[in-house]
Amino acid sequence: MLTLKGISRNFPGVRALSGVNLEVRRGEIHGLLGENGAGKSTLIKIVAGALAPDEGEISFDDRPVSWSSPREAKLAGVHVVYQEFALFPQLSVAENIYLGNERRNALGLVDLRRTRRDASELMKKLGVSLDPRASVASLSVADQQMVEIARAMTHNVRLLILDEPTAVIAGREVALLFDRLRRLRNAGVSVLFISHRLDEIFALCDRVTILKDGRLVGTQDTADVTRERLITMMVGRDLGDLFPPRSAATRTDQPVLRTDTISIGDRVRDVSIELHAGEIVALAGMVGAGRSDLALGLFGAVPISSGTLHIAGKRFAAMSPARAIGLGMGLVTEDRKSQGLAMLLDIAANMTGPALGEVTRHGMIDRERETSIAAREIERYRIACRGPATPVATMSGGNQQKVVIARWARLCRSVLILDEPTRGVDVGAKAEIYRIMRELADSGLAILMISSELTEVLGMADRVIVMREGRITGELPGREATEESIMHLATSERAA
Amino acid sequence: MSGSVEIASQVAPSWSVRTVMTRFGIAFALPLLLLLGGVMSPAFLSPGNLSNMLLQFAPLAIVAMGQCMVMIVRGLDLSVASMMATAAVIATGFSGADRDVASIVAMAMVVAMAAGLLNGFLVTKRQVSPFLATLATMILLQGFRFAYTQGAPSGNVPPFLRVLGSGKFHGVPYNALVLLLLAAVLGVVLHRSGFGRRIFIVGGNPVTGRLFGIRSDAVTIACYVISSCLAATAGLILSGYVGLVDNWVGQGYELDSIVACVVGRVSLRGGRGSILGALIGAAIIVILANEVLLLGIPIQAQLIIKGIVIVAAAAVYTRRDGS
Amino acid sequence: MTAIAARLTPPWWLRSNAGLIGVLVLIGAVSIVGATVSDRFLTLGNLLNVYEQTTDLALVSIGQTLTILSGGIDLSVGSLISLTSCLTSGLINGNPDRVLPVVAGVLALGTLVGMINAALVVALRVHPLIVTLGMGAILQGVTLLYALGPVGRVPRSFNVLAYGRIAGIPIGATVALTLCILIALLLRYLPLGRQIYALGDDANSARLVGLRRTRILMFVYGASGFCCAATGLYLAARFGVGQPYTGVNYTLASITPVVLGGTLLSGGRGGVIGTMFGAFLIALLNNLLNFMDVSKHYQLVAQAVIIILAVSIYVERRRME
Repeated sequence: MLTLKGISRNFPGVRALSGVNLEVRRGEIHGLLGENGAGKSTLIKIVAGALAPDEGEISFDDRPVSWSSPREAKLAGVHVVYQEFALFPQLSVAENIYLGNERRNALGLVDLRRTRRDASELMKKLGVSLDPRASVASLSVADQQMVEIARAMTHNVRLLILDEPTAVIAGREVALLFDRLRRLRNAGVSVLFISHRLDEIFALCDRVTILKDGRLVGTQDTADVTRERLITMMVGRDLGDLFPPRSAATRTDQPVLRTDTISIGDRVRDVSIELHAGEIVALAGMVGAGRSDLALGLFGAVPISSGTLHIAGKRFAAMSPARAIGLGMGLVTEDRKSQGLAMLLDIAANMTGPALGEVTRHGMIDRERETSIAAREIERYRIACRGPATPVATMSGGNQQKVVIARWARLCRSVLILDEPTRGVDVGAKAEIYRIMRELADSGLAILMISSELTEVLGMADRVIVMREGRITGELPGREATEESIMHLATSERAA
Repeated sequence: MSGSVEIASQVAPSWSVRTVMTRFGIAFALPLLLLLGGVMSPAFLSPGNLSNMLLQFAPLAIVAMGQCMVMIVRGLDLSVASMMATAAVIATGFSGADRDVASIVAMAMVVAMAAGLLNGFLVTKRQVSPFLATLATMILLQGFRFAYTQGAPSGNVPPFLRVLGSGKFHGVPYNALVLLLLAAVLGVVLHRSGFGRRIFIVGGNPVTGRLFGIRSDAVTIACYVISSCLAATAGLILSGYVGLVDNWVGQGYELDSIVACVVGRVSLRGGRGSILGALIGAAIIVILANEVLLLGIPIQAQLIIKGIVIVAAAAVYTRRDGS
Repeated sequence: MTAIAARLTPPWWLRSNAGLIGVLVLIGAVSIVGATVSDRFLTLGNLLNVYEQTTDLALVSIGQTLTILSGGIDLSVGSLISLTSCLTSGLINGNPDRVLPVVAGVLALGTLVGMINAALVVALRVHPLIVTLGMGAILQGVTLLYALGPVGRVPRSFNVLAYGRIAGIPIGATVALTLCILIALLLRYLPLGRQIYALGDDANSARLVGLRRTRILMFVYGASGFCCAATGLYLAARFGVGQPYTGVNYTLASITPVVLGGTLLSGGRGGVIGTMFGAFLIALLNNLLNFMDVSKHYQLVAQAVIIILAVSIYVERRRME
């Protein structure tokens, strides 16, 4: 019912998609598998009419189409649930569901009672109980996703696209979602399901298409393909090559950083962890488990509500980014664009940003010094660019991430925290980032890596700490951890 | 996003034709406008006319530089015109003799700092939108001014300020020298100093600023204070130019300074802009106004041209920058 | 707990805009102070006067509320008011027969100008702040080309708009109130109304959901233009003549009642009823200061202080949520 032929799309500095073919049949659940940065999100934006392809043809129901806006795609029956959602936080649940498709009475006016009633019924069918009057801003992420799916139901949806829906929900919610999607398929709706979790692909999908670095690798029936084969198709090489070998016990006995029952609002509760120089510790868990908040708290970017931090033997009840930087800490944030980089400035300015004092003399920036620092780092980390004066906004995701990591690698002396360090970068850059992380650990830094990709956690970590609902639920030695043991700690339902 | 993202900041430029055009394209409009003016009316390029334009240029350019700094930190300062008028009222509030100039300047700067601090405080600590915060300060200053003058300001501007505001040295207005000095200092501060770098980082994204260990709030407040102080300076100069003082000296400068910045490619969304851009923008406004006058076009048409210029400039920049 | 809450649920027009409570409290406070200052303050006669004095500010601000709710702003209102008031008196020029066609024409012109604003915002992809700022300059220029001073005159009968009363109720203010209620109902009961909130809440989501932004903006800015034209008519009626600078202060003044009434300047939350109360509060405050014999010059200071307090408090409340 949906056919894509030779779709290509470029962004400044990146070729996001080149010559991709994809066919989704009527009434099938089709998986779209690929690493972060493989081009999955770009592809669905094109299908949804939110982005125009540079080349290629799209046909829907055997008719060529060129949607110039999401509205046109929607009228044809294509509905997308984006990872970042398209919700209106200040409006109510019921209004969000029926926005643009309002429930009306005989006079053509919005029927608020019916809106609420229909919304309640719809959500009952989906197996969720939400107050239709509640504002969307007050909901959990899983509930917000349900609002999105409920909205799709209200349209005459023929192709439902879900962009990594399971990144934000867990356990029972995933089972419920899958159940609902299967029922939709049986009703003749096609589903395009984006994920990088193999278990889910096998559990849910009829067929699967694999993308790598913006290119099509192939389409397979899930019944005829093995897990190993899929991994090779997705990663393009054996996992063994991707991760550098763990080094033999460089870890020190004294912790560099120790937290004593710190809490951050209600998002992090009574967390006590220790980080030692020379080790990579992975912080695993579901999105929303409080891992990023903990990272921001350790770095002083959000205030700690109770508990104490011990860094390099000193005790702190409060932290600030300036102080953390002074102590030799670094934080690679989850979202480069909105946090980690000064996007409008060049590489040199981003290299020295957190330690301007180093390159200022009498209040003036020593541009020469700054440029030579940047030039050195560009060479060391093989950052693809036109030189230190390249604006970071024009670079690809992987190279931007290398700028961030190179910056902290240079400035960091004690603890480096990396939040989803390989999100949105291609496999080549990934391998390099892993290599850099290991080198940094070997050179005596304590590294805390937050990651939602279990392959990454298993491949890199010397120790795995798992968080759920703001608390630490367990710790595993890196060599003994398995996907199952981590997922169990990350999602197990509370003992009733 | 376009292929080449233009950055007017502390970044060393590459000198390809394309970069030069996108970076400094607006600068080519200046000689072009001057030339065009000369062709259309011969009087335009006469030394007398040029020096008069320079005289009118300084106050607007000084305000526009402050507006530029505020816009880079994602703000807007609507209180500048009110600040100018307040400074002008202060200028006539003393005996009118030169011995009071120091007191006048000191008092104007104290009031300006207070206004700038209030703006900055409301914007950063209370998270009031810049538009609203500076609007409130504008009305507040206006209220104090009216209360002080009881609606009928009187008094004389000290001769020193008169000379500064309207005098010329071999055809070069003194106020242009003041502008030159301020522009040099601000240009260096914004584009070469560590403080300037922090302004661009915070303006590009306050969250990034905080994660870089920069006190974003302090940087933002400083920009509002600088803007107010520049407006007060411009107000003193303008009072010297006008000679007599009413409650509305500087009226329209809030909008003109914003127009100048937008035309000079200072982004309303923050993080981009340059002192040079603000100066060029202000120059374009002054030149256009002067040409309209010389061509005998009804003076009211100035407003129409100004309106078209700002919308057109913004539209061109949006197209270039994408987004 | 929920049962009690449900029973205590306030009416929708109050519930949908928590900022309203703030403005009502302020109105209460001003009233109490007023009552202690003078016996005449809380009389029906005085309150009707205040109501009458609300007219112009209420009219502009109702339109401004819509643009702000949609995530934009209209800075061309002042010039448009000047232009329409000049055209009204200039074109009627004392001839009663021309009243109806001119009124209709002026209202249509105002709406059209607003829609041009919207079209420019969409077509040029420029922020409404800039577009309407430019439009404001253009309109002021056009107004001054048309008239450099007071122009034309309106027939005596035309001033019913400003001074007329039916059974003691001021006509102009009631027209504004009616318009306000109509728009409040529209915002609540028409799909378009809900979509205005949605657009102001999150423009990107609105695009992804497929809302028709052009149509929404056309309505919002068109309505703002219409409200300006109505204000222009009112001012022509009040002064008996159109003046080219008559509207100049309304551009920024129109924003105050909107914010006082609890509408977020960033869009997506608030409503016109709050704005109506906001305009009333300002008129009431000025009235009180008159009673207290405070000079006109200090009235500005008082207004600024109230605005600063109000916005600071609203912001604080919003952050706690």
